[in-house]
Amino acid sequence: MTIRIDRRKFLMGSSALVAAGAAGVMPSWAQAASLRLTFWGGQARADRTYAVTDLYTAAKGTAIEGEFLAWNDYWPKLATQTAGGNAPDIIQMDYRYIVEYAKRNAIAPLDEFVGGVLDLSTFDQDQLDGGKVDGKLYGISLGANSVAMLVNTTAFEEAGVTPPTNDWTFDTLMEIGEAFKAANIRGGMKAIGDGSYSEPMLQNWLRQRGKDLYTADGKLAFDEADAIEWYTMWNKLRDAGVCVSAEDQAIDTGPLETTMLVLGKSAMLQSNSNQLVAFQTLVQDKLGMVGFPRVAAGVGGGHYRKPSMFFSVGGSSANKEAAADFLNFFISDPEAAKVLGVERGIPCLPSTREVVAPTLDEQSQVALNFVANLGDLLGALPPPPPASAGEIDASLIRTIGQEVGFGAKTPEEGARDLIAGANDILSRA
Amino acid sequence: MTARSLQSGASARERAATPSLWSRIWQNDAPGYLFLLPWLIGFLGLTIGPMITSLYLSFTDFDLLTSPDWVGANNYMRMFTNDPKFWASMRVTMFFVVFSVPLKLAFALAVAMLLNRGIKGLPMYRALFYLPSLLGASVAIAILWRQIFAGDGLVNKLLLVFGIEGPSWISNPKTSLWTLIILSIWQFGSPMIIFLAGLRQIPQDMYEAASLDGASKWRQFVKITLPLLTPVVFFNAIIQTIEAFKSFTPAFIISGGTGNPINSTLFYTLYLYQEAFGFFRMGYASALAWVLLALVGIFTAFSFLTSKYWVHYDE
Repeated sequence: MTIRIDRRKFLMGSSALVAAGAAGVMPSWAQAASLRLTFWGGQARADRTYAVTDLYTAAKGTAIEGEFLAWNDYWPKLATQTAGGNAPDIIQMDYRYIVEYAKRNAIAPLDEFVGGVLDLSTFDQDQLDGGKVDGKLYGISLGANSVAMLVNTTAFEEAGVTPPTNDWTFDTLMEIGEAFKAANIRGGMKAIGDGSYSEPMLQNWLRQRGKDLYTADGKLAFDEADAIEWYTMWNKLRDAGVCVSAEDQAIDTGPLETTMLVLGKSAMLQSNSNQLVAFQTLVQDKLGMVGFPRVAAGVGGGHYRKPSMFFSVGGSSANKEAAADFLNFFISDPEAAKVLGVERGIPCLPSTREVVAPTLDEQSQVALNFVANLGDLLGALPPPPPASAGEIDASLIRTIGQEVGFGAKTPEEGARDLIAGANDILSRA
Repeated sequence: MTARSLQSGASARERAATPSLWSRIWQNDAPGYLFLLPWLIGFLGLTIGPMITSLYLSFTDFDLLTSPDWVGANNYMRMFTNDPKFWASMRVTMFFVVFSVPLKLAFALAVAMLLNRGIKGLPMYRALFYLPSLLGASVAIAILWRQIFAGDGLVNKLLLVFGIEGPSWISNPKTSLWTLIILSIWQFGSPMIIFLAGLRQIPQDMYEAASLDGASKWRQFVKITLPLLTPVVFFNAIIQTIEAFKSFTPAFIISGGTGNPINSTLFYTLYLYQEAFGFFRMGYASALAWVLLALVGIFTAFSFLTSKYWVHYDE
């Protein structure tokens, strides 16, 4: 956990504000001495974010007090703050939680500011809609992203294997895996991490089969037969040495540093397009990006452009308009755009994209091109997942995937327990 | 308020034969309570208050964002009839308690006996051996442990010297819990210090008399050291058992908060934490906390009840 309050700047900012206020040049809401901002992410994101809050303070006088945590610590803290009536003014929000927070008025509708301090006239329509709950706007998308397969191109070169393209299928994956096994580089590097308990990968695979994880009314959208096939397929990949062993995969407990790609145990890893930037800072090798493998040649529709994250305004915030003004600055200011790049995803304003594009380094360029050129991989945006999706991911998809991986359960037993457990959790919520 | 109290105190002194209960309490105990006040405020405000709240919450559904809904004993019913994860976490915790506590105590006693031979520089050794206990519950040690027992960690590098290729201890469900037990044994410092103090209390002339009678070292240990040390063993066993039930940080850090692989390190406390702060079921988590309290209470009561059969106080 890191809290950043630069006292000197804070004092300077607030005294400048008082002076300006006395001169009567500031709008009324700028009386707010400071805004509180909270987000999840790592140091790279924090550095960029704080550079922008400094720009905003310099331009508008309002000081911004930021705080960031890792994803796992972020949600307990935010829920506790919200319960205590002490939620920050500006809250980074995820597609998974936005409905829950909106329905409980823990975040505020922003429609009254649209056209005022918030100019969204050219904002991408699908990203705008992604931030709506029951027709009202609760979150401003900070960027579009998609799931993506990160590819260690240096390792592929070393092994003498041709890296995959967006056309590749699970059969191609099998061939790549065999080739990697034969090449035996870096102490037996495997082609891919074990994706059998990766929720995004399961969802992508289901969507290609015309199904999904959840329906719009929060029920399961796949059945036992799908799950059996899924686990059987991964068992085959694991037994063939295409993916890493269950024991190796269990080392991955969430942080990027523990992933198979960073540890050098696999040449590919399922991730999100915007995370290429973060992963590239952790590995020496050059990383590239392709779509997830197709279930069969020519089958698409598994991917979708999802709002990678939103900024929302706290429901109990006393400075909603000031917060909305900051949001507008964050998404549209050209200087801010240059600092932020595509670290939170592809910007949703065309003007911002134009500013960002020429300033990007090679990796960010790759991410931008990938999301812009998904082609037939792209399907429709699925409905927001039910509130207990996070629990089903953590306590069923992950645990049962490990049980099947370690051989403690057969694919049939795993599939049965997954469906029964998920239905139980969904009915309990 | 003060003036009136003083007055009643004065009149009570006059009617010394029949002082009222309140004035007696005031006169005798007020200074005591005054000195207790800082602790008492903390105890009532930070311990008793939250405990009562949690008892209430354990009969509700509460997700932090909306107000609690009364559900009666549903949380407790679910726990015992319809929650495999509850039993899984109970098994892990029981296994941990049953193996870590006796092993840790045995190790602590062995080190204490080694240090009790009047060696030079005892305070230094005592401090050195105590050090792991000071660091024990910290995040840094848990992270260090992760490195030591990782697939390419220190332990496997040592094993490789002997030609053995070790597994990745922390990510293998068969061995992951044992790495936590070893971590717990390694923190033997505080029971060791108490054992050392206990050993010092045993009169030397008993050993001298036994030696004259030709008793072997082992016999001396079994017939003199152990019986006279039982009160200390008893104390240490209770404290360490409670500690073991409450153990949380190492499992949280080493498994990244998941209790994996395959829930093999899902301590009861970790499950409680997941329910509360992972899935926002504060009501259910509160019920879990109360069941843990009851369980620790039962264990402690059982220890006290059986103690008269094996603990010897030399009176």
